[in-house]
Parts: sequence; C-alpha cells; structure tokens
Amino acid sequence: MMISPNTLVILLGTTALGTCCGLVGALMLLKRRALLADAIAHSTLPGICIAFLLGGSRSLAVLGVGALLSALLSATLVSWLPRVTRIRKDAATACVLGIMFGAGIALIGIIQRSGLGGSAAGLDGLLLGRTAGMLRSEALLFGISAMMMSLIILALRKELLVSCFDPRFGLSAKIPARSIDFLQTSLLAATIVIALPAVGVVLTAALVVIPAAAGRFWTDRFDMLLAISALIGAASGLVGTLISSLHADLPAGPVIVLSATTLFIISLLLAPRRGWISRHLQQRSRLQDRQIRQFLDGILNSELEGSSGVARKRQPGITAAIDRRNRLVSSRNGWIKTDSQQIRLTQEGRKRAVRARKALQIWREWLTSEASIDRDLIDLDEQDIEKILPPDLIDTLQRSIDHRGTS
Amino acid sequence: MKSPAIEIHDLTVSYRDKPVLWDIDATIPEGSLCAIVGPNGAGKSTLLSAILGTIHPASGWLKIFAQEVGKSQELIGFVPQRESVDWDFPVDVLDVVLMGTYSRLGWFRRPGKAQRDWAMECLEQVGMADLNKRQVGELSGGQQQRVFIARSLAQDARLILMDEPFAGVDAATEEAIRLVLLDLKKKGRTVVLVHHDLQTIENFFDHVLLLNLRLVAAGPTAETFTRENLLRTYGGRLTLLDEAAEAVRRIRTGRSRTGRDR
Repeated sequence: MMISPNTLVILLGTTALGTCCGLVGALMLLKRRALLADAIAHSTLPGICIAFLLGGSRSLAVLGVGALLSALLSATLVSWLPRVTRIRKDAATACVLGIMFGAGIALIGIIQRSGLGGSAAGLDGLLLGRTAGMLRSEALLFGISAMMMSLIILALRKELLVSCFDPRFGLSAKIPARSIDFLQTSLLAATIVIALPAVGVVLTAALVVIPAAAGRFWTDRFDMLLAISALIGAASGLVGTLISSLHADLPAGPVIVLSATTLFIISLLLAPRRGWISRHLQQRSRLQDRQIRQFLDGILNSELEGSSGVARKRQPGITAAIDRRNRLVSSRNGWIKTDSQQIRLTQEGRKRAVRARKALQIWREWLTSEASIDRDLIDLDEQDIEKILPPDLIDTLQRSIDHRGTS
Repeated sequence: MKSPAIEIHDLTVSYRDKPVLWDIDATIPEGSLCAIVGPNGAGKSTLLSAILGTIHPASGWLKIFAQEVGKSQELIGFVPQRESVDWDFPVDVLDVVLMGTYSRLGWFRRPGKAQRDWAMECLEQVGMADLNKRQVGELSGGQQQRVFIARSLAQDARLILMDEPFAGVDAATEEAIRLVLLDLKKKGRTVVLVHHDLQTIENFFDHVLLLNLRLVAAGPTAETFTRENLLRTYGGRLTLLDEAAEAVRRIRTGRSRTGRDR
C-alpha cells in the first residue's frame, strides 16, 4: 500500500491532535471535569456560525477565533452559574451544552436559508469532522500545539498535580489554584478548537475523554497516566485517519473515535491488575484460597479431635463442585493424601492449616484488645495479617491466647 | 504573653444568605495546641477554611501572624478531612508528601533529591517510610491520614491546620499523630485542629475553641473547658450519659494535667 504525501501530512496532523487530546483529557479526568469537555465542544458551534456571519469567510483562522471565544464563554458560564445561583455544577454543564448547541444548529439553519452560498456545507463538515482537506499548514499547527502542550504540562507538572489532587491544599501552599485552573480550561478550549475541523463538534469531547479513561486502567501513576493517555490519543488519531482515508465515504471523526473506543475496550478488559478480566481472576483466586483454607481447617479440626482423617463425603464446601476443586487443588499442592475413603493432611498441609488458623486467632485477639478498629483492616487473609502485625506484637498476642487457653 | 498566631475579629461567614459562622472573636497564641470543638454542623471546618483563606468572610477579619489572611504569604500546613480526597487518584505516597515541598520550590522547578530525602524523613516521623511507593488508595484509613500528616510536616510551616485527623483511625495511627503533635509543640509550631473526642481534650490540648455557630468560649483549656461551657456548646445533645461518663473520668483522673488518659 502506498501512502501519498498528502495522506502522510494528514496522518501526522491527526496523530499530533490525538496526543493533545489525550494529554488534556487526562488532566480533565483527574479533575473530574470530563463533562466540561463535552459542553465546551458543543458550545463552539454558535461561535463558529457568528464568526462566519460577521467575517464572511470560511478560513479556519476566523472560524477558530469564533470557536475559541464561545468555548471560553461557556467554560466561564459553567463555573459561574453554580456560584451565583442554586443550580448545581452538573446541571449547569448540561444547560450550557444544550443551549449553546441548540443556538449553533439554529444559526446553521439560518445561514443555509440565507443563501450565503455553498459554504454552508463547509460548516456542516464541522459537525462530524473531515480530514481529507487538511492542509500542510494545519498539520504543522497541530504538531506545534502538541509540542507546546507537552512542554507546558512538563514545566507545570507539580502545580497541575496539586490542582487536580487537592486544590484546597494548593491554596494553603500558596500555589495559585485559580490561575492553574484557568490555564487548564484554556488548554482544553484550545485543544477542542484545533480538533474541531478533523473530528467535529459532536465527537471532539469523546476523543478528549476516552484515551484518558482507557489509560487509567494501565497505571497508578500521574506521569504515566499522562503519557499513556497521550499515546492512546495519538494511536486513535493515526489509525482512525488511516481507515477513513482508505474508505473515502467514512467521515474521519467517528472513525477516530471508534478507534479510541476499541483501545478503551481492550484496556477495560485486558489491563493487568485493573482490567476486568484480571480483577475477576484475582477475586476468584482469593475466594478459592479462602475455601481451601476452610477445607484444610476442617480436616485439621477432626484430626485434632483424634480421628485419623476425614471421610471423603463429609466436607465443608458449599457445593459438590467446590468440594471437588478443594480436593483437587489441595492434593496437587501436596497438602492432602487421599485413599479410597479417607482424606488426611500431609506434613505440608498440616503446617499450612496451622499457620492460617494461628494468624486468624492472633488477628481476632488484636481486634478485641485494641478498641479502635480500622475498618479497612477487618477482613484479611493470613498472609496480610502476618505482614501487618509486627513480630513482637504477634508474640505478645500469642502469649495472651496461650495464657487464656491454659487458665 | 506570646504574640498571637491567629487573630479573629468579628468574623461572620455565610453560605448564600444563611450565616454558618457568626460573630467570632478569638485569638490563638503562637506555639499552642488548639482544639476546635463543637457539635456537627457547628461550622468547625468552615472556620478552618476561613483561616486557610478558601472562604471569604461576609464581615470581620482574620489575621495570621499579624497579616491579613488574603494578603499573607505565610505558608499554612493543611491536613484535609480524609473524606474530601479522591483516593483513587493515581499518585503514590512519596508524591503526596513531596507536595509539601512545592511551595518552597517555586514555579517550574521539580523536586530533587534534597526534597525527596526531606519527604522521606517526614514519612519516617509518622512511621510510613517503607510504604512510600504505594498508591494512596491501597493504604488503610489510618495510614492515609498519616500520609497527610507527613505532607503537612514537609511543608515546615509555622501554622498547621488539621481537619479531624483522629476521625476513624486505628490505635497505631492515633499514637503516631499524638507523638507528631507533641513534637510540633516542642518546636514551637502552632497547631489548630478540629476534634471530636471530648475525653482526650483536657489532658492534651492547651487551648480550646468551643463553637456552635457562635463562639461559645475560647481560651486556655483549664479555664475554658468547663462543664458549663460544654453544656452551652452542645445544648441538650450532651446527654446525661456523657455527663455521667465525664464525672466518672474526672474523679478517676483527679483533674490531673500531667498524665495522659489512656
């Protein structure tokens, strides 16, 4: 397959664009302002129309200024309304989005009817985005924006981190929260305005939010989230443009967003630790561990009571399937020996059962002896317990258990 | 007489049209350990916000070390209520404590080795140094609280505000916070904290501010923390049961101000 120089320019442009969106999106996500991206994107429409009516041209510069102004206006409205009225932030965001977008659609209708020429079709293109006609200069603009944005974020990393994590602390530390806030909103507005021609009014917000949301599955670190989110944004831009350039009848915006969505779904399912599948597996193995512990404990109990083993039929599992699995896993690990009727603990299995029982006993002792309980610490397995309690405390608790046992 | 760390004069704070703090007049001397006490909704956290400068008073003024709150460049250490924080945020323990060093770094500069060492030292003080790589959401409640305390230590501020640092923490954390507070007091720092547990006030704090929308009383604990004032603060809500418990405790401790009641 040959890629024409023209397509290459467009590819570079949308890749840079995706990077910008990913970076800004991560900041918005962490600030819990993802919805603001949607409101701002939709709000650019009336600005574009008015700029077209006043300026009478379709040049991106003129329309861009209009878009930027109405984006900033709507961002101001969203933050101002909840402060002076009883409207809450989510309602204010939804109101501004609806009103501005409605006004924009109405203005498009007026422009089309007023017969100001076929250029109205160009405005239509802004709704869903079009990359086919991207100029070299525009691609260059995207590249420069992506670079500047990365530089700003690198330089102000610590200010942005505080502003996202704990703005009230920022005030106490004399970090100017308001200015940082304004900077973040401006970055968002600028990104959206730049992205409009390629992705369109309706879907720009999706390209801002989805890469960040996908990135959150992969990492627990601030810098990594920014980097991954930028990467996913870039990949979405690249792949989406490629696909839409191969099928000329597919609009670029939706295809780019669908690429991002695909990456999001992959992240949601497959990410280690935070992904759905890995979470599910973790939960399952935890549950199985617990069932096996109870199973071994049951055998230990009856052996302590003097019997030489447990009959195969009498077991504490909830279902026969669980019983079977407990037996299987335990004998595979060499914890039990089975003959035709009896199950017996091996040396190894006995050690394990005793260890679990001791840990739980000590844990209960600690919970009752220390009146103030940390609620997050109640339900634990023996590994956790042995990690949390210091050895000398374990000794003390053990002694008090033993003492009670003998008296 | 030491110069006051905080001076509050005729302060009224309102939310929309409803006053949530009304007519507050108080001074908190430098170097004191001061507890703000009052029932739920008494405006305790609001008062902290006003000292911090995140809420603007409807009338009156506040001074910190003789400078007006809005204009003061004085750093204030701050420990927020645990509930007010997004614990799912992708940031690790050391990163949070490092935030305490940010304001001294100034724009554009990133924390370096010196800052990291200092942050680790602060973590050491609250017994959390070995957990410095954990994501904050993976800690227990008490450990989270200690991370915040370490951050406020890293700020190295003359004045530190804490919003209910003892709420819902385990015994180990409670002990760690107590030690930190005593250490801060020894260094002459002023600590103001919102506190819930009436039992521990008398032996630990040297200054109290009893609050219930209005200021009921403020001053040295020995003179201010009296049954009468408590009744005026809590009204009918200081139940007979509490009173009985308090009476028993007073007999037992003999109003001693030396030992810690544990």
